[in-house]
Amino acid sequence: MPDTHFYRYDDYDRALVGERVAQFRDQVRRRLAGELTEEQFKPLRLTNGLYLQLHAYMLRIAIPYGTLSSRQLRQLAAIARKYDRGYGHFTTRQNLQLHWIRLEDAPDAIAMLAEVDMHSIQTSGNCVRNTTADHFAGAAIDEIEDPRVWCEIVRQWSTLHPEFSFLPRKFKIAITGSPNDRAAVRVHDIGLRLWKNACDEVGFEVIVGGGLGRTPMIGKTIREFLPKDELLAYLEATLRVYNRYGRRDNLFKARIKILVHEIGAERMREEVEAEYAAMRDSALKLSPETVEAIARQFAPPVLRPRRTRVPEVEAMKLENRAFALWLKSNVAPHRVPGHAIVTASLKPAGAPPGDASSAQMEGVADIADAWSHGEIRVSHEQNLVLPHVAIESLPEVYRALEKLGFAEANVGKITDIIACPGLDYCALANARSIPVAQRISNHFAELARQHDIGDLKIKISGCINACGHHHVGHIGILGVDKNGVELYQLSLGGDVDFGKTALGTILGPAVESDKVVEAVEAMVATYLGARRPGERFVDTYRRIGAQPFKERVYGNS
Amino acid sequence: MAKNLSGDMQVASANRLSDGAVVFLDDFGQWTRRLDRAALARDKRTAEILLARARAEAASVVDPFLVAVTESGDGVLEPLSLREKIRASGLTFAAIAAEAVRYA
Ligand code: SF4
Repeated sequence: MPDTHFYRYDDYDRALVGERVAQFRDQVRRRLAGELTEEQFKPLRLTNGLYLQLHAYMLRIAIPYGTLSSRQLRQLAAIARKYDRGYGHFTTRQNLQLHWIRLEDAPDAIAMLAEVDMHSIQTSGNCVRNTTADHFAGAAIDEIEDPRVWCEIVRQWSTLHPEFSFLPRKFKIAITGSPNDRAAVRVHDIGLRLWKNACDEVGFEVIVGGGLGRTPMIGKTIREFLPKDELLAYLEATLRVYNRYGRRDNLFKARIKILVHEIGAERMREEVEAEYAAMRDSALKLSPETVEAIARQFAPPVLRPRRTRVPEVEAMKLENRAFALWLKSNVAPHRVPGHAIVTASLKPAGAPPGDASSAQMEGVADIADAWSHGEIRVSHEQNLVLPHVAIESLPEVYRALEKLGFAEANVGKITDIIACPGLDYCALANARSIPVAQRISNHFAELARQHDIGDLKIKISGCINACGHHHVGHIGILGVDKNGVELYQLSLGGDVDFGKTALGTILGPAVESDKVVEAVEAMVATYLGARRPGERFVDTYRRIGAQPFKERVYGNS
Repeated sequence: MAKNLSGDMQVASANRLSDGAVVFLDDFGQWTRRLDRAALARDKRTAEILLARARAEAASVVDPFLVAVTESGDGVLEPLSLREKIRASGLTFAAIAAEAVRYA
């Protein structure tokens, strides 16, 4: 039987998550009663996504492939209100982090998650983590196939997979179904890109060994075209090779990117292909029925083509400049005519990037119910997405988002900053991220100027772990600690657009915290002075190189 | 004016088991949220004893450790490192006002 390892999402997962909640409740009780030491308890809480940070426990909740129903988002809001401080932080891994959870409440919070088919398992530890996807999946005009179907297949295969629960290090997979990669697949342990070959067949490009962190690497393609039904066998072969050869002696050298770097992409390909040859026709081969059954769960809402030019929208565009700008930056084309994809910016001027209060989450859930078929996405850029909005509803959606503070017309602009929690929350941090993001955001708050500057992605991490993806920011900012002083290392020219994935180059000596805004302003001024028509910040940088930016930031000395 | 910048002065800190809150060991062997009530070790030898006491009282906390502090002229304690300053006094920015935005 080829598909015996497969199971119905509902029955199996509910039973599994239910069991885990009961187990964890008992473990927490024993820890609080002093029956378990911290040493014994720590791995158990981490398995359930519960970290201890600077001031409190943090619960990391997986949002599989970044897709949420309005019901799920409301439940997250309710959990944050009941067991946290009434807000949560959306991360670059399409997770939600609650930063103020009490240990004794954690099992109840996890039980509430289970009520809406969510969990926090595998958000920690050396296992396959939450598989991420393009946040426009199922709606994007350029999409070849919905990547979430494959994320779900990967999720079912990898959840508590006995062979891969103790990998040398954590393992992150991302999948895109569009040529315009919005899932940063080249900087993941495995990146998968669906594409159509000359025979009109859809398959995966398999990219291995990308990643950020201490040793950033761009992934290498080890298979140009993998037939879709062979995906799990190929992934299993890759993970086996990693499990066999990946280094376990040195934490900093344990990710698959180091293995690929050390043995080379060609040898990696040979190893994986050899392993794969032995198992390609195994039980892991996916039957069309299995794929079909999962694909049905992702059937898009039935959308009828509608008017694409709507007089009310055109009129409001003329009357309301902020709305006109919002249409440009926060609204993307949908594959069904007369519809659009709306990004709710979680980056209002001066706010901590990616944070949303319970009331705001409920507001977004209401908007999704009214105008986006009850669906919400979480983007790795720390925004929320309403994937199926009729163009004629855009004015109402805009006004509703405005009330929530989520209608800032800044998506892709200089204030749409990615920032990790940094030293304000994170036990691993060297420096703060959020206050730096806030200062930049306040400085560049004027929307007209942001739109004049154009697309410019600033990404900030509070330490070399790079949760804020600073290596791939057009401007990357990394917090470092020098003798107890926070300094910020600036880099330029990073990118994750497909085909152009690049790691930033360090500009020069790290600057003090109160000089960061000035430095960013100097880089922007350099760009504005040198840009040619149609050039984005990063294009100008590529053309003229780092030197002019350097001179402006540090002076000629 | 700081009296001692060498980092010899230390207090014992930990995170409270029940909620992770930052706590300090006081002179009576109790864990307190208030740094100003923390037992102060003024030299290395006393600091070792303080840490041993903290470990002996660790049932309600997680992983006690020593934090280097300075003491101002009027006796106010302040951690030396930024990390510990943030642990002692909380976020350095206003977290979003959780209920300020209401969707009508
Ligand atoms: S990059 Fe560093 S500081 Fe920021 S969240 Fe990750 S581990 Fe913490």
